[in-house]
Amino acid sequence: MSEKKAVGTRQYIATRVAQTIVVWFGIITLNFFIFRIMPGDPRGTLIAEHMPPEVIQAIAIRFGLDQPIATQFVLYIVNLFRGDLGESFSHYGQPVIETIFAFRFWNTVILMGTSILIALIVAIIMGVIAASRRDRAIDVGSTTVFLVAYSMPVFWLGLMILYYFGFILRVIPLAGTITRGIVHVNIFHYVADYLWHMTGPLVVLTLSFIGGFYLIMRDSVLDIFTQDYILAARAKGLKERAILFGHAMRNAMLPMVSVIAVNMPFLISGATITETVFSWSGLGLLTYNSVVANDWPVLQGIFLFLATVAVLSNFVADILYLYLDPRIRY
Amino acid sequence: MSVLRIEDLCTHYFLGEDRVQAVDKITFDIAESEIFGLAGESGCGKTTAAYSIMRILPENGAIVNGQIFLDGDDVVEKTDEEMRQLRWRKVSIVFQYAMNAFNPVLRIGNQIVEVMQEKQSIDKEEATKRVKELFDEVGLEPERIRDYPHEFSGGMRQRAIIAQALAAEPRLIIADEPVTALDVIVQNKILGLLRSLQKKYKLAVLLITHDLSVVAENSDRVGIMYAGKLVEVGSTVNVFKRSLHPYTYKLIGAFPSVKGPKRRLEFIPGTPPDLVRPPSGCRFHPRCPWAQEICNLEVPEYREYEKKHWVACHFAGEINFEVES
Repeated sequence: MSEKKAVGTRQYIATRVAQTIVVWFGIITLNFFIFRIMPGDPRGTLIAEHMPPEVIQAIAIRFGLDQPIATQFVLYIVNLFRGDLGESFSHYGQPVIETIFAFRFWNTVILMGTSILIALIVAIIMGVIAASRRDRAIDVGSTTVFLVAYSMPVFWLGLMILYYFGFILRVIPLAGTITRGIVHVNIFHYVADYLWHMTGPLVVLTLSFIGGFYLIMRDSVLDIFTQDYILAARAKGLKERAILFGHAMRNAMLPMVSVIAVNMPFLISGATITETVFSWSGLGLLTYNSVVANDWPVLQGIFLFLATVAVLSNFVADILYLYLDPRIRY
Repeated sequence: MSVLRIEDLCTHYFLGEDRVQAVDKITFDIAESEIFGLAGESGCGKTTAAYSIMRILPENGAIVNGQIFLDGDDVVEKTDEEMRQLRWRKVSIVFQYAMNAFNPVLRIGNQIVEVMQEKQSIDKEEATKRVKELFDEVGLEPERIRDYPHEFSGGMRQRAIIAQALAAEPRLIIADEPVTALDVIVQNKILGLLRSLQKKYKLAVLLITHDLSVVAENSDRVGIMYAGKLVEVGSTVNVFKRSLHPYTYKLIGAFPSVKGPKRRLEFIPGTPPDLVRPPSGCRFHPRCPWAQEICNLEVPEYREYEKKHWVACHFAGEINFEVES
């Protein structure tokens, strides 16, 4: 029995791994061509207008832009597997890997990770509670608050927070991830300074994420409440807390896992606006700057990274289902 | 003393301005070690009566009148918290859709352990041991307490549900269509199991079903419901062999019999009434071939026509069922 189960599980994981790899290959191919059909010549940003033709030619050769598309594609794939995503056009020949991962990636991960985590915890708990108190004050109240927060444009909310808390009250910094020009006494001082800078974007992102998660969770729990096993749990005279968090929440989490997985890359790219407003030097701000500068290699790198996150988070979601829903472990 | 005594119970559902009189003034009791069969068509209020006893009605349903005595205690008077503590300790239920009564993402054993720990002061290890014993008792392998609901067949799940119903040693088990979803062979096994456990633990059982053969074979006494009313109550033999109410007679006649001479099956013309605006007088009168003027005007009294044989019909005992007027 358990051996059969293990085989089923292994087969399930193997299938998902294979699917993930195929999808990922599709993505890296698309990722190359998407920029070649985009209007605009990257040389325009690299090269000043009245440069001599031999310089233009030299620069094109330097970045491989003189090669036919097919050759460029082969080079791209080969280099990709060497871990070489090319050099940034706008960051003066800095390797793309370094441009993305040196510190910007971490800035984004810390900011996004924290805000998603807080948003999820609040949304899940409030969703369960609101559903169990349907149409009562706490349900109507939290739904209204979260919906308003959800519908506010993040750039506007960000600017308001910057203006009132940063400019007028001066309780949060106006820009950046750390205070420029000061020498941090020790690591704790550094962390405190970093977190202080993170407050603004963190609040904006968390507020904008909660609404969606909350509504899905609330809906999902309401749906679960109509199931027979919830009536059974009530008939068994279990405590309300046990019914809500022991029986309803885990089932309601199933759709949440999919939603989070599908939204993962949006959540990262969605920080573009917030990062730009707060000058938070992360992937969002980098994306924005690279689009402005026609920086193909960097955009390619970011897109590749986002697509990989999308594919991987779906894969992780599939594996999480194994744990959350035993019916999948055939 | 009876384990369950229901007096004049009225349970209504509120739909905007309307109210559905799903259960209207029903009275019956169940003694220790007794199986009471409650039968009737779909929508006649059987399940509503059961949910009223446990007070697990949907939000728009309410007990508007009457008393329900469980072991002498009136559950209608209890606060929600008192009621919650009473559930499963005094009365447990085997659901109509027993297939879905287990949470699909939790192990069956844990779900039974959970209710045991809630209802009794027992540690997890002890509870697990008890669940294994219960599994053995209902004919399941004790090791399978670690299985998930989807790993069980319908019959196995039904056995597990029964094990769960016994978990907190209740006095009364409500079995709401316990075997409806199962095939006949498994039905018989499950009902046999239910009967043997009922004898062993001296349980009172309220057996709810629309299947008269299940009622006839398994209950000591029978109640027949029609449109929210209890129309006839008596020993199984009396109700089946000496029916007093025309509805009972017609309902039993509508089931083919394996034994005896072949005869034309009865059918009841019309459809069950709308319980928002039930018919005046006797609720069955629009469909009753023997109805007289008084049936339209006066609600028949629910009375003890002969010893322990109750009926609500103006003409109980006066009708010759062989001749339709």
